[in-house]
Amino acid sequence: MATNRRDFLRSIGTVTMGAAASVAGASSPARSATDTAGAAAAKGPHHGMVVDLRKCIGCQACTVACIMENDVPEGAFRTHVSVYEIVREGKDPAMAMLPRLCNHCDEPACVPVCPVGATFKQEGTGEVLVDASRCVGCGYCVQACPYDARFINEETQVADKCTFCFHRTSAGLLPACVETCVGGARNFGDLNDPDSVVSKLLAENAVAVLRPEMKTHPNVFYIGLDQALSGRVTGEAAYHPPFTQLEEENA
Amino acid sequence: AGYAETGRKLVSGAWAGEKPRKDLTGNAPEPEYRIDPATGEVILNPDQQLSYAQCIGCTTQCGVRVRIDKRTGKVLRVAGNPYSPMSTDPYLPFETSVRDSFKAMAQVGEKDGMKFRSTACGRGNAVLQQVDNPRRVLKPLKRVGPRGSGQWQTISFDQLVREVVEGGDLFGEGKVAGLREIRDLKTPIDPQAPEFGPRANRLALMNCVNDGRDGLVLRWLKQGFGSNNFVRHGSYCGGAYRSGSGAMFGDFKAMPHAKPDFAEAEFILFVGTAPGNAGNPFKRVGNLVASARADGKLKYVVVDPVLNNSQSEASGERVDWLPIRPATDGALAMALMRWMFENDRINTDYLAQPSQKAAEKAGEASWTNATHLVITEPDHPRHGHFLHASDIGLAFDGEAYGEGDPVLVAGDEGPVVPDEAPAPLFFDDVVEMPAGAVRVATSLSLLRAEALSRSMADYANITGIPEARLVALATELTAHGRKAAVNSHGGMMNGSGFYNAYALMMLNTLIGNLNLKGGTMVSGGWYPDQKGPRYDLAKFPGMVKAKGVPIGRNIPFEKTSEFKRKKAAGKPYTADGPWYPNAPGLATEWISTAVNGYPYALEALIFRNTNPVYGIPGIEHLMDRLKDPKVIPLIISIDPFINESGAIADYIVPDSVMYETWGFTQPWGGVATKATTARWPVIPSKADKTPDGQPIGLESFLIATAKAMNLPGFGDAAIPDADGKLHPLNRAEDWFLRGAANVAYVGGSPVNDASDDDIALSGVSRIVEDLKAVLTEEEWRKAATIYAKGGRYENIDKSYKGEKAAHPFKAPMFVYNETLGTFRQATTGRKMPGTPAWREPEFTNGDKVSAHYPAADWPVQVVSFKSPLQNSYSIGAPALRRIVASNPALVGTGLAAQNGLKTGDRVRLTTPGGSLETVVVVRDGVAPGVVAIMHGFGHRAFGASEIRIDDQVWEADEGIGAGVLLNDIGMLDPTRTTNPGVWVDPVSGTAVRHGLPARLTRIA
Repeated sequence: MATNRRDFLRSIGTVTMGAAASVAGASSPARSATDTAGAAAAKGPHHGMVVDLRKCIGCQACTVACIMENDVPEGAFRTHVSVYEIVREGKDPAMAMLPRLCNHCDEPACVPVCPVGATFKQEGTGEVLVDASRCVGCGYCVQACPYDARFINEETQVADKCTFCFHRTSAGLLPACVETCVGGARNFGDLNDPDSVVSKLLAENAVAVLRPEMKTHPNVFYIGLDQALSGRVTGEAAYHPPFTQLEEENA
Repeated sequence: AGYAETGRKLVSGAWAGEKPRKDLTGNAPEPEYRIDPATGEVILNPDQQLSYAQCIGCTTQCGVRVRIDKRTGKVLRVAGNPYSPMSTDPYLPFETSVRDSFKAMAQVGEKDGMKFRSTACGRGNAVLQQVDNPRRVLKPLKRVGPRGSGQWQTISFDQLVREVVEGGDLFGEGKVAGLREIRDLKTPIDPQAPEFGPRANRLALMNCVNDGRDGLVLRWLKQGFGSNNFVRHGSYCGGAYRSGSGAMFGDFKAMPHAKPDFAEAEFILFVGTAPGNAGNPFKRVGNLVASARADGKLKYVVVDPVLNNSQSEASGERVDWLPIRPATDGALAMALMRWMFENDRINTDYLAQPSQKAAEKAGEASWTNATHLVITEPDHPRHGHFLHASDIGLAFDGEAYGEGDPVLVAGDEGPVVPDEAPAPLFFDDVVEMPAGAVRVATSLSLLRAEALSRSMADYANITGIPEARLVALATELTAHGRKAAVNSHGGMMNGSGFYNAYALMMLNTLIGNLNLKGGTMVSGGWYPDQKGPRYDLAKFPGMVKAKGVPIGRNIPFEKTSEFKRKKAAGKPYTADGPWYPNAPGLATEWISTAVNGYPYALEALIFRNTNPVYGIPGIEHLMDRLKDPKVIPLIISIDPFINESGAIADYIVPDSVMYETWGFTQPWGGVATKATTARWPVIPSKADKTPDGQPIGLESFLIATAKAMNLPGFGDAAIPDADGKLHPLNRAEDWFLRGAANVAYVGGSPVNDASDDDIALSGVSRIVEDLKAVLTEEEWRKAATIYAKGGRYENIDKSYKGEKAAHPFKAPMFVYNETLGTFRQATTGRKMPGTPAWREPEFTNGDKVSAHYPAADWPVQVVSFKSPLQNSYSIGAPALRRIVASNPALVGTGLAAQNGLKTGDRVRLTTPGGSLETVVVVRDGVAPGVVAIMHGFGHRAFGASEIRIDDQVWEADEGIGAGVLLNDIGMLDPTRTTNPGVWVDPVSGTAVRHGLPARLTRIA
């Protein structure tokens, strides 16, 4: 029992909301739909994900599918769904689910810090990938990622993270997390194609990204993201606590 | 870690660890197929097999696709079957070729592949780990030493069959009767009580859920062996809800239930059920609700003591959570009814139709007995029965109270036979009968009287829901015409769960939403495997008709010899234990019977993939007797794992696991079209083989023991075809492949033949030789289609006919249930209401629970809840434990403040049934005074405790034993002094795990 309790306490952590993160600049679909469209159109598809949080039921199918598909080692996650109880003065408590993964940023913070050039942005489609044959496992990228989306794989001793299931999308299939998303929250596709599902979702909905102030220009967008969750991304990537209560200060 | 580590790696070079398979994508396997970028065609991966089969990770039993590494036989991943409504919505038209189904799920598919994306849930993705679970049993085991000591020896299949059939001094503890001896169809169990039936009834078989293999089990047990004792797990799962629903649908045995039309409803009230958090069909409901609240028009409220994932902050005003005091849901329902009666918000046009014909004439999709008259004169011999024509001297055909003797409705000048016009809804007065004036009332008048028996303020006090919110709920529920619905399920497992469920379901009838788009609908049915046009798997020459009182005591007490004796002695209703005529078989009550021998003792008990010892709250108090070989001399567990129930068995028959097994199942509900999901061994069983080469498991065990005992219905001439010619039943394939032929041919027109391409792409090539060997030339390709597509599914465009369900429920809704209203409790002679009513939780003798355990002493109430991930048998999948490793108790902020608790503190939780210690998480989303414990943890078996098999020690795994089990602090009924039993609902006999009275103490 002692072990369980220790594990449990570690997992719950202490999470206190800082200043409310600004979502200015992130709620507009314009960046992906237009800013990159002209330049990238000639290069073919640019992959992105739009997560409709209204459809996430917190079932963790994505989390487990990713573990199975990518042989993610024990204790680590490439994606998972954080579940929060949101408590606001004078309102009923509410449940918020936040599926989390590498944002495959257009200005990734992890790439420039890599001393050996192992982490790179894939030409065209835009995935941020790690070449394991070059990675030395220094962990600089793990620390640089504003989304806590990377870890050192304890089996391979190299940096590990979501690849958008590059091996599947290259074969014309969907990422594992997307094809098993029970609520239909995760949508994947070509941000350069205005007729794609993801482009339409961006055009038709108010969207936000996590931690826009980091200017990383993520390619993972959220519909229905509570501002209180926008910055809630660090320290939890390795574990989904049963519930994390949010003490909101500036909402 | 620091930078020293980094420096070491830089010095030592790139490969400090294991080299992954690929530089960029690690150990991920090659995709199962590719789409040719130029042509859009499917290019198979020859090293992998992709088969449409079935998950049994929970009772939903979704159609899934299983991806297998052909070289190693390992299951790589599981996702959904796009033909299956349980995994996909909309689902693919059945005529789609397997090749096109693969395309539909790729990026070239509609909506970039996301229209027909087909899913597995978190658990469904993880349970493939059970196949290779190191705790899996692969050889037959026999206990060494006392029961439950965890000491086993492996034995051969032949020894297993010989010992359980022949008996003998099996354990050095004296003679044990074998199955052959117990199978005595002539000698009565008790000559003084011939209704108990023959000795063969002293073998009983407990099942979990029908995973599509029950047909063969029942053939063996009932039609072969001749025992009438078979039960499933419902009475300790969601049985109270099903019984309450069964009361309204007029069938206490099959217990029909409807589900909201999630996609088309405008408002749904969920009470004690959590769409998208748990339940059945889990994914389908989660998917439809998520879509309806985001893209559709659905608004819903979840009423529950605990806030869970069915609520969605991102969905804003569309979704609300309303906390309620545990076990008071019936008071909520009656409050809404009261408001509806008082504000003319019941659907009078619908309720006034007194017959099927009247309803049809009025364009209604269903009808009710709301207008039917009930005799309410207290001392009348027919009190509680409907008023029939024969009662007042009107003409009738046949026997009195038979089909030709109609039930009456109110007329201008006394009761009349209903015609095709609406009848009066309310009537409560005396009518003249030949023997004098007798008081009668319509069903609806009785319901209204129950609803009006308490004020809205009373209901608010009982539920803890403010009156204004009760009114707002009633207003909203009745503001959408018939496009609103009420739904419930497992939250009804409390001390008044039956009436709570009946009351909640009655709200649907008062709206009149059954069989309607946007309202409620029953399951669309299925393509059955046993009774079909090609083979008769349901009947055979020489079959036995099992008879006798089942040990769940679910028949009227009045039919027993005990009643006759006691009546003759002038004390008719002083039974030695409770009887449940308005209930199905009850696993909960089986335990009481098994340990007390009332009404009769067992000689042998078989657990079949089931775990009552883990699942029944309060059973711990009966375990010493349950484990005693003198009480039940022979216990056999058929299961791939040693669970808490198998741990007290004498023999373990290792079963196959999920994707290794055969079966046909239908959805429980929530699917408007006909659907049969087919399961087949897409991988070979890992279990050892029988001497004749069959995998050891349920089927081979049943067949071998049947042959050893010469049971009818097995062997070389067992299964009749349409011409009466008999075919063999010597292996599982003989049974299931003939079932597949039935599924393929039933329902008018058969399915199309599977093409060679369908067979190759779906991996059905694995079983083609078996298909050809068992079936005819005409049949086998049609049966192959059933396996290639993972079942048979009616197309989604057959869901509705106009605004009505295409597969409606046809019998009337019971506003008043006659068998309920005339039932007398065997131990007290009490009668109970025949309509929904608010009833405070009570014990068997009628005492209020609060009288034994007052709130002053027991200020806390404990409830159970389910998570999306863990159930009672999934703990062995490590991927699930990685996500949620344990189940700390949830405590609301108010209760935490009172007890000085903060998250992470340790507490002792004590009920009259016991106590446990655990860690708490403090949350706002828990109703006041409630402690909530998630189900699925606190295991003692499955690997949680050390066991020894031969000379091998299987060490305990702390992770498997993590957390606590609420059932450990479940209670016995303190008023059941003669024959002890766990606390159950007084009508449905179902277990109580919500609203346990408790105390909470902080442990320093």
